[in-house]
Amino acid sequence: MSLRSMDQLLALYYREVTKVYLSVFTLVVTIVQPLIWIVFFGSSLSGLPTFFLESYFHTNNYLSFLLPGELSVSSISMGMMASMSLVQDKRLGYLKRVMVSPTRNYVIFLAKVLGGATRGLIQVPILLVAGYLMGAQIAFSAYLFLWVTAVFLVSMGFSSIYFMFNATSADWQRPGLIMNLMTMPLMFSSTALFPKEFFPWWLKLISDVNPLTYLAELGRLALIQGAFDWTSFIALMGFAAFFLAIGAVVAEYKLTPE
Amino acid sequence: MRAILLENVTKKFGDFTAVDGLSFHVDEGEIFGLLGPNGAGKTTTIKMITGLLRPTSGRIEVLGMDVTKETMRVKERLGWVSSEVILDDDLTAMQNLWIQAKLYGVKNWKERAENLLRFFGLEGFKDSKVKGFSTGMRKKLEIAMALLHSPEIILMDEPTVGLDVVSRKAVWEVITRVNKELKVTVLLTTHYLEEADSLCNRIVIINRGKKVVEGTPEELKNSYAYDVIELESAVPLKLNGWDVIYSDGNKYRIRVKDAASVLPSLIMEVGPQNLRKISVKRASLDSVFISLTGLSLEEAGGIDERKLQMILRRARR
Ligand SMILES: Nc1ncnc2c1ncn2[C@@H]1O[C@H](COP(=O)(O)OP(=O)(O)OP(=O)(O)O)[C@@H](O)[C@H]1O
Ligand SMILES: [Mg+2]
Repeated sequence: MSLRSMDQLLALYYREVTKVYLSVFTLVVTIVQPLIWIVFFGSSLSGLPTFFLESYFHTNNYLSFLLPGELSVSSISMGMMASMSLVQDKRLGYLKRVMVSPTRNYVIFLAKVLGGATRGLIQVPILLVAGYLMGAQIAFSAYLFLWVTAVFLVSMGFSSIYFMFNATSADWQRPGLIMNLMTMPLMFSSTALFPKEFFPWWLKLISDVNPLTYLAELGRLALIQGAFDWTSFIALMGFAAFFLAIGAVVAEYKLTPE
Repeated sequence: MRAILLENVTKKFGDFTAVDGLSFHVDEGEIFGLLGPNGAGKTTTIKMITGLLRPTSGRIEVLGMDVTKETMRVKERLGWVSSEVILDDDLTAMQNLWIQAKLYGVKNWKERAENLLRFFGLEGFKDSKVKGFSTGMRKKLEIAMALLHSPEIILMDEPTVGLDVVSRKAVWEVITRVNKELKVTVLLTTHYLEEADSLCNRIVIINRGKKVVEGTPEELKNSYAYDVIELESAVPLKLNGWDVIYSDGNKYRIRVKDAASVLPSLIMEVGPQNLRKISVKRASLDSVFISLTGLSLEEAGGIDERKLQMILRRARR
């Protein structure tokens, strides 16, 4: 990336992150939704016998198990931020202003995806604090930050997927639809909510290639045990890199200003 | 070298041809007007020149460079002002200019930005959020942004749409100064024939994507403009030998080359006792448009009220 492109990226990224309140509503929803999850869902299984939790969930309270899982799932909704902002810029014409300038499309794409993931990241501290107050185990270590980095990367990977669907369209509804389409199957075919000991064999297979599984397990390792698994981390980086690359190519060739 | 050159440019959207075999050129240093009613293809043409849209066929050169081949280099030399006001409302004037500067790689941007704001009389608002700007101020800021990277050519799509008479005159003055003092070639589009007449050295009139005519405002007025005499009589009239372009009851519109020299004979023919009202509309670019396309600007679309409202609402958001 040239120095010029870096400058362009910086300026566009700055604009993205200062736009937080531009979608206050989306922001509130994306924060409240996972909060509701951990409050209600986290409580629903809290009465399970301790020995059961310890042998299947590897912790003595379900919330500790759920918190990293739910944060992993919300990387999907964090990813939506970028395409919401893209739609906004198409509607208001701002993308035309940028595309008339000598800015490569992949730079525009990166600014959106980085900006969206940054904004989405607001969920992380809020949920961690909420979870902590409700009694979830949280080991404060460098691994916690590495795991948050992984959440950031994965949400950029998801951002790229949303972006592809809105590259040629200014449809408001698409980001939401795609989120619904991805969330359910990815969530239930991962170990975000339940350990895979309960899964039938075919679901185990899917779960083993589902990025949410890796993200959730890595989070549990970091939050509950204060440990880390570099292989999972690299796999998650691979997931992000793969979709970022595809997204950049789609942006270069397909992005329309309106 | 031509500033801008279009050769047989066509743009299709599906089956619909928005621009149809259009050719014209803009010389360096001039203010060139692209005129036409709603849907004529003006914006589409501008977008193709900026590289936002690819022509379906034909060739576009900017400063000798082929737009489809050297898109990035062309973009560096062009400034663009859209017909909708496109600014980031949540940012201040300076922040908007900063982003623009980064996008174009402008080195001494701060100094240039401040100079431009002064040039446009906006220096007092440099740290105010754009949200509170009037439409006229927005337009000026947009022009300042388009000039920030010192482009040789500036493209302005309907620069005065949605402005009141005073702001419109102010923007005219700005355009003239940008052209004269900053030596920037200007291509502008407009519905207002009056605007083209007073600003442009040369104009092209297009309709439904096709070129209708090209020339200086003077040339067009001399060869296509007619005076129109409107008269209302007490009795029905024959008016044989007169070029009657419109009649409604006992109201008539007659097209003549020079109203002053034929009025006496017309009045004699009608009979002064029958004459209720008579008025003369002098030749203007308006009448050029009528005699070339058969439609007055209003009839051809003119300023679309709904579109105007939309633009204004969008600008305010
Ligand atoms: N992306 C598009 N898809 C389909 N049709 C389009 C598209 N853009 C423009 N058109 C059509 O092309 C024609 C020319 O549009 P254009 O915007 O260039 O006109 P214009 O001369 O700028 O009009 P106005 O004075 O209203 O701005 C219109 O009929 C319009 O509906
Ligand atoms: Mg237009």
